[in-house]
Amino acid sequence: MSMLDTHTAHHEEGSYFSGPPGMVAKIWQWASTVDHKKIGVMYLFAVLFMFFLGGMAAISVRYELLDPIRTTITETVDPTTLDTVTTEVTTGESLKELLSAMGMAETLSGTQIYNRAFTLHGAIMVFMFIIPAIPAALGNFFLPIMLGAKDVAFPRLNLMSWYIYLFGCTFGVGSILLGGVDTGWTFYTPYSTSTDADHWRVVLMVLAAFILGFSSILTGLNFVVTVHKLRAPGMGWFDMPLMIWALYATSIIQVLATPVIGITLLLLMFERLMHIGIFDPALGGDPVLYQHFFWFYSHPVVYVMILPGMGIISEVLAVHSRKHIFGYRAIAFSSLGIAGVSFLVWGHHIFTAMGELAAILFSGLTFLVAIPTAIKIFNWIATLYKSSIVLNTPMLYSLMFLFTFSIGGLTGLPLATLATDLHLHDSYYVVAHFHYVMMGGTVIAFMSGLHHWWPKMFGKMYNEPGAILATIIVFFGFNLTFFTQFFLGTQGMPRRYANYVDEFQFLHQLSTYGSLLLLLGFLIHLAVFVHSLFAGAKAPANPWGGLTLEWECTSPPIEHNFHHEPLVTHGPYDFDKVVPPHWDPKDYPLPENPGSH
Amino acid sequence: MMPTLASAQPDILQEIFFGDQPAPSEAAAWTDGLFLMITWFSIFSFAVVMALMVYFVIKYRRRPGVPAQPSPHHNLHIEILWTVIPSSSMLVMFIFGFQGYAAKVVSPDDALELKIRGAKWSWVATYPNGATSPEFQPLSYQSDVNEGTMTTTTSKGLDYPIFYVPENTDVKLRMMSTDVIHSFWIPEYRTKMDVVPNRYTGFNFRTPALTTNDTVNYTDENGVITQIVGRDMWAFCAEYCGDDHSRMAATIRIVPQEVYDQRMAAWGVKLSPIEAGRKTWNQVCKTCHQIDGTRLVGPTWNSVKNADGQFGFGYEAALADGSSVMRDANYYRESILDPNAKIVNGFAPAMVSYQGILSDEDIDNLIAFIQSLSDRDPNSGQDTGSSTETTESETEEAGSDS
Repeated sequence: MSMLDTHTAHHEEGSYFSGPPGMVAKIWQWASTVDHKKIGVMYLFAVLFMFFLGGMAAISVRYELLDPIRTTITETVDPTTLDTVTTEVTTGESLKELLSAMGMAETLSGTQIYNRAFTLHGAIMVFMFIIPAIPAALGNFFLPIMLGAKDVAFPRLNLMSWYIYLFGCTFGVGSILLGGVDTGWTFYTPYSTSTDADHWRVVLMVLAAFILGFSSILTGLNFVVTVHKLRAPGMGWFDMPLMIWALYATSIIQVLATPVIGITLLLLMFERLMHIGIFDPALGGDPVLYQHFFWFYSHPVVYVMILPGMGIISEVLAVHSRKHIFGYRAIAFSSLGIAGVSFLVWGHHIFTAMGELAAILFSGLTFLVAIPTAIKIFNWIATLYKSSIVLNTPMLYSLMFLFTFSIGGLTGLPLATLATDLHLHDSYYVVAHFHYVMMGGTVIAFMSGLHHWWPKMFGKMYNEPGAILATIIVFFGFNLTFFTQFFLGTQGMPRRYANYVDEFQFLHQLSTYGSLLLLLGFLIHLAVFVHSLFAGAKAPANPWGGLTLEWECTSPPIEHNFHHEPLVTHGPYDFDKVVPPHWDPKDYPLPENPGSH
Repeated sequence: MMPTLASAQPDILQEIFFGDQPAPSEAAAWTDGLFLMITWFSIFSFAVVMALMVYFVIKYRRRPGVPAQPSPHHNLHIEILWTVIPSSSMLVMFIFGFQGYAAKVVSPDDALELKIRGAKWSWVATYPNGATSPEFQPLSYQSDVNEGTMTTTTSKGLDYPIFYVPENTDVKLRMMSTDVIHSFWIPEYRTKMDVVPNRYTGFNFRTPALTTNDTVNYTDENGVITQIVGRDMWAFCAEYCGDDHSRMAATIRIVPQEVYDQRMAAWGVKLSPIEAGRKTWNQVCKTCHQIDGTRLVGPTWNSVKNADGQFGFGYEAALADGSSVMRDANYYRESILDPNAKIVNGFAPAMVSYQGILSDEDIDNLIAFIQSLSDRDPNSGQDTGSSTETTESETEEAGSDS
């Protein structure tokens, strides 16, 4: 932070991160801050670290799958003595070999190590990265500013959410350091209540998810109240940027669904620690009940992950093509529609474990949730019509989102269709599908938003050619990694397998090479960001010509965001009527006949 | 009789997604057809959206001094159009999907019922006459005779059970798990269903008529391999169930009716307690307990002294709590029914109780088998020399069929 401070010290007002001199004072200032921007930045670094951890786990999963694990029993018969010599050789335990090469004596078998690696990847990515990534990091920073507010409605509660998040992460990382868990991130019973029975690791991981849920609930509550109460004068509901609509819908889901997972995980711990039979049939419970409870939360949470990403796409597409978003109300209402329907479709995760009638009902309901998503895609494409498109990093990522997320959405159709789901369920097809949605959707949108708002957050521009190069590498790496997995799935490769029959090896190898390309792309991004923080050019207040309120502030914003409470006089996407703040009308030509509203 | 969707003509997508093997049943072909129909619909929609995007990006790229052209901000008619088209397409998918689902879960009354039992980490099939399939086949098999040294080398992978079903028959699976949730997936039939403890689940499939091109390798009890008419397909566990989840597989082998009948007749014969015990071990116990001194999750069963200590029936076991116990029939019975009561030193308490899973007779047979593996078998003669020989031949035999 000291580099940043020397650069911004000459600011008249001082940016939000210009603090008192002295390291201790600075740390205390950040640790005790109630400023939503500082909390957002702390979240940002934390989730990026978790993304790194989860990513390394993903790379180790792919590394193990380069070769199948094979146990070969060789019997040699000597013709003279007729003695049989039997040897058993196991090959392809890549992770185990790697660990022992690194000098770690490993008592676990190759498959056990693999099971821990994919659990680690899933649990970290879901609970510690992707759920908080956009709402808690970018949302915290930009929701109040985009509303024209000084801060969120409950700043101290916001700080508490952050500490609860940190506390939860400590439990999760602690569980990993103690040896990791092998339950899968879904903690399906009765496996999760019986595995690793003499150890606390599973309880720690479940507790981590339980605690992280509270952070999520409190942030959601804070955002809902902020949107209702702290909009700037002149900003009606339909004058809000679509990012706010997306975050609002997300927050509603978080507040309503997260308590259910809290209760479920508590019940899981009761069963594990006190042997109260809830899910384990040996104790009189019902193992499928857990899956219903779990997905009643975890399906809506899929939309907690993707809706904020859709919000980012709405902002970025409009700003970088200087075009009024097409179908504002359709996009806003489809966010709410998705939030509503998301509570009715949890059953499609367990078609193979439920009765016929329930399966048919859930299949029908599941198709409903596809429609608002399709509407959004069409509206975004229509926004580009007659626009003025610049292909910088945020825009490239948004276009990439339209590509990958469309594939993710369309490949969901055979999963909602009952006959085909019985084949594809729990196969690599599902793995590919949800990575196209989660990574091709949320992560790609997060990267788009991060580049879009980076100059605003840190007051520095980033190296555009470097970022574009990384974006292109990520695009090819991502598609190579996951497109291959659709074919693995339809051909019969089950998920969560440490080894496989030989015919799948070629596609697995392609997928692993793709993941390395992906890693390379993200490492270049990291280098670009680090370079930007320490040597980036100073960012202007409104580098892209945005019309939402955050572009009226300085880059980075001052502590209270605005000098005076802003008055909203134009819509967030009136690019055909209004010259953006801080822009010279000479540099921003307006069309002669603005579009109708 | 279900009409097949689009699967009649050879299709490039069909081959990419499902390989060149024809779908073995109408229901499977229906699934492929439906999948390909949805995929063609998706490819078309995706191509339209992407073509528009690329066209707009090129046509409306930013030029200095040129503003974006005005156009309407919304249009109700177009919004309705692109709501109705996807909705009606999805209605079609839903209805077809429901039809295909019904074909997989509703079985004809005269279907052959096969009971499938899943346990960590193996499958057992029980046929209508009560027989359980005793045949296994390795993942891979290679036999070389080295002319120079005159040695014969046989290399093979791990063994997976073979479930026999007759051709041209409706087969109905009634499945249950004895521990955690598993899922029985036969990729070629495009169907899976979860295998849950304390609840029966199932699905059905129709076996195809075999052609002369369908041959499989059959290994008899002496290890001699012959080609017989049949068709093999994999079944995998698809619901994550722990350490060896990825090794929980089986082969479904479709054979002519007379081969099936002959197998049933042979397997229906009552086995001696030791042989029955060996069979149970092969099906249930061997993923964790070896009989040749190898250390797996659990201790080996034969009498052997190695770095982990002394094993085998009739020998004292050193326990984790420092005490020791004689391995006698009651010790084994308790270890099967209440595995965590006594833990052998150096092993983790990883076993679940087989109370209610193995019958008293199964347990008796298992104990008879375990006894026969020891050089202190009370049922063999007093002469240690002969009992050692028995142990050796047992081990050898186990090696050849495991």
